[in-house]
Amino acid sequence: MYTKKILSLLFFVLIVCQNNLFAQAENPDFFRSIGKIYVVVAVLLIVMIGIFLFLFYLERRIKKMEERLGDSHS
Amino acid sequence: MRSLWWKILCMILMVYAIVAGMLFPLSPATHYIDVSSGETGKALTFNVFGYNTNYSQSKKPIRAWLKKGKDFYLCASDVKVVSDRQLTTTFQIPEKIADNPQSVNLMLIVDSEADGHSVLPGAVTIKQTASNASMASSCQVDYLEEENQGITFPFRNILEETIRSLYYHVPLWFAMMIFLLTSMIYSIMYLVKMNIRYSIIASEFARVGVLFGILGLVTGMMWAKHTWGAYWNWDIRQNTAAIQVLIYLAYFILRDSFDDMEKKARIGAVYNIFAFATVIPLMFVIPRLSSSLHPGTGGNPALGSNDLDNTMRMVFYPAIIGFTLLGVWITSLFTRLQLVKMKYLDTDEFED
Repeated sequence: MYTKKILSLLFFVLIVCQNNLFAQAENPDFFRSIGKIYVVVAVLLIVMIGIFLFLFYLERRIKKMEERLGDSHS
Repeated sequence: MRSLWWKILCMILMVYAIVAGMLFPLSPATHYIDVSSGETGKALTFNVFGYNTNYSQSKKPIRAWLKKGKDFYLCASDVKVVSDRQLTTTFQIPEKIADNPQSVNLMLIVDSEADGHSVLPGAVTIKQTASNASMASSCQVDYLEEENQGITFPFRNILEETIRSLYYHVPLWFAMMIFLLTSMIYSIMYLVKMNIRYSIIASEFARVGVLFGILGLVTGMMWAKHTWGAYWNWDIRQNTAAIQVLIYLAYFILRDSFDDMEKKARIGAVYNIFAFATVIPLMFVIPRLSSSLHPGTGGNPALGSNDLDNTMRMVFYPAIIGFTLLGVWITSLFTRLQLVKMKYLDTDEFED
């Protein structure tokens, strides 16, 4: 199943982004100095990833229906 | 359409847009001061509050000016650093800074070695009383420090941190335009080839386009409340966008009001082409002809160089691609579902 691959890829992207952001954050700006914005970003990411996983799930169900109907085009 | 790579690209771009769009800092700026008016011939002392500034790290002394019009500068007689984000400045307002007794609006410029120069428009209003003194002379400004060039989003007064909404609100409209255009192209293809598949793709693209349009309206209202002061400002672009969403809602009502698949597809396709013809004036022409709170009025291209800097482009363009791919993904799922449904109804007994 490719879900695992996708999740690990996402994780990798996250790590890269975070490293970059922390690297230049020796002197954190006001917005991040409080630190709670990271919570908001985490919440947003969970929502987005949840939606993406749901889309993959939906796609699998539709695929099953197509196969049952012997659909080959599209 | 079933390949995986673009779905993964979509996920990466969306994650990037959220992380980068939310976490890159705003550039240092002068946020506000704690007085609003002063009088001529008196000393004016006030605190300047910076945003993301590092005043105490400036190696050279920090300088400040009040600026009137194009070329009248008033030097600060004293600038004290209180903390990284606070200065106390004192200005000796001269006896005469304007010819007639009137209120003079002055802009504040703060120049620090660590953060570059920043501007606060309309900082103080000075009341000019009748005076026989001679006109005060302008102070010399030899140089200004460069504006901050790091990976930061620009600080704009009023917008402030809400500038980040740009990465989630505007791509919805870009994506919507792409979907409506694709929808119209599929409608034309339907009329040419009379393949029911094209009709279904056209209607599903329009459906996701309308979804994005409604999300764009709602996010825009949220943003407007906190920058322009009200959810709905009867701004020209808000109005035309709402009209446009309504036009496309009528498309679905029209399409669903026929039972016969052929009739549904043909009349829907014709309506869709006309609906797209209204998009061009509603979204691109009318908003530019009149004044609007949105950027890009009076004949300017929207989101020109005044509104976007390079760091913003770094997040904004990937966000557009990410949102577009997300919409295409949803559309492909809906289309396949509709095709399966049609096939199922065909093989069983036809009823709809």
